[in-house]
Amino acid sequence: MDNGENLIRQVYAAREDMREADRLIGAYMPFIRAETARWLKRPPVEGHDDELSIAMIAFHEAICGYSRMRGAFLKYAAMLIRSRLIDYHRQEKRHESLVSLDTPSEKDDTPIGELITDGRDHSEELAVREATRAEIEELGRNMQEFGVSLSDVADNCPKQKRTLNACQRAVRYAKEHPELLEDFLRTKRLPITKLAVGSGVEKKTLERHRSYMAALLLIYTNGYEIIRGHLAQVMREVTS
Amino acid sequence: MEYLVMECHPGYVILLDEEGRFLRAANFHYEVGQKVTDPVLMRENPSKRPSIVRMISGGVIAAAACLLILLGVRYYDNHIRPYSSIYLSINPEVQMELNKKGTVVGLEGLNEDGEQLLLGYSGKGKDKVTVADELIDRAIEMGFLSEGGQVSFSIDAPDEALFMEYGMELRTQVEEHLDGRISVTIRVISHGTETEASDSVKPTAAPETAPSTEAPTVPETAPSTEAPTMPETAPETAAPTEPPTAPETAAPTEPPTAPETAAPTRPPAPTSPPASGGDSDYHDGDTDYGPENDDDHDDGDSGYDNEDDDD
Repeated sequence: MDNGENLIRQVYAAREDMREADRLIGAYMPFIRAETARWLKRPPVEGHDDELSIAMIAFHEAICGYSRMRGAFLKYAAMLIRSRLIDYHRQEKRHESLVSLDTPSEKDDTPIGELITDGRDHSEELAVREATRAEIEELGRNMQEFGVSLSDVADNCPKQKRTLNACQRAVRYAKEHPELLEDFLRTKRLPITKLAVGSGVEKKTLERHRSYMAALLLIYTNGYEIIRGHLAQVMREVTS
Repeated sequence: MEYLVMECHPGYVILLDEEGRFLRAANFHYEVGQKVTDPVLMRENPSKRPSIVRMISGGVIAAAACLLILLGVRYYDNHIRPYSSIYLSINPEVQMELNKKGTVVGLEGLNEDGEQLLLGYSGKGKDKVTVADELIDRAIEMGFLSEGGQVSFSIDAPDEALFMEYGMELRTQVEEHLDGRISVTIRVISHGTETEASDSVKPTAAPETAPSTEAPTVPETAPSTEAPTMPETAPETAAPTEPPTAPETAAPTEPPTAPETAAPTRPPAPTSPPASGGDSDYHDGDTDYGPENDDDHDDGDSGYDNEDDDD
């Protein structure tokens, strides 16, 4: 009983702090693996079975969605893992007729994935990925100065399309008025009132998505070409 | 849609989609900076924690609903549900259903004349006395009730006190209502037991106290002592002295009521007298047997018991 209370406390703590969540997932990996094995009817192979990843995200969902009213945490987590695995299995069923890239080719045992050329330059792709990674890490560091983490942003991200569009309108307005961005960088505070007045978005909407707005404005300051490139097309679409 | 992997955790990754959303997804061994196309996104929290406001407002609504139901039940109990009934019979027989407050909630004609009497009349929501007065007026108008007629109120009340109250009220007020116009007999009896509370009072005379004290003794003493002794002693041996006294007191003053009170309480006797006691003559001797009682063998057997006793 005491153990259960302790776990519930940990779960509640993990919801607030992402590091705590990572630690909890690490501590309960055996449980997650066992639940996956029960569903697969064989032990999952780490790094190979997607089911294990699904089970882990399901466990994470359980942490975020748990409340005392739902009963014992582990039972709730087990139920969620099972239902997510079932969902995933159904989704994957659609691709059953496709041949896996891991299937050995007819001539020898080399997986066919390695025999197929996709016309892409892998070394260049790797370089791009490396550059992107550097940029994202830079962004992460920068965001820390503003007291915002990517996990916060993920939590704070607008869910509804309408809200998302409103936030993007405010970002576009800031982009067109570089002095606002400079202000933002200097004071490390969001110029919410100016953004609201300028873009016509409700102040309350921007305040509610403060972390998200901070992340997006940061992306539109300096550097972050690749990330901006990733977002650019959508921004254009919305503008037109 | 392409997603950019922004951050990797053991249990999940944070992705940035092309529309600028930051999302959590399952980590299929992704690396930061990688672009993925087919992630398994984490679902939103199944449901938000129930908010305090909603819980409180729910509670308030539930409490209000309970109160409303309670009030409704109380109202129904006091105003709508028939609590007692008064059977008015002149010749037309009418049943009045009353709520706890004595207001008429239903009227029904129990025979053809009763239905005719009620035709085009609505007494709902009126006091019982008002309805009784109006119905009697209608009866007089329609020729059902004339000089010297009889009006009987049979009251079906759950307790004695209410019965007495209604009886007194009806009697005095109806008398008042009819005073000086027509003289009729008013009778008030209890419906269920058919016992008489008071009887045969002319509007002009006879206080109710005398008959009403007399009446209860008739049904209680006479049949109860008579009945048990009947089976054993029926033909030859004498019965106690009570039976003759009961009809004596009752019969002369109110001929029609005597059979009513006596009849239901004497079931065991009927077959025995003609078979065994045929020789004894119950026409002579006692004077208290009216002609209408003679043909009734139930009464007869008690009669010749007494005769034997007298001998």
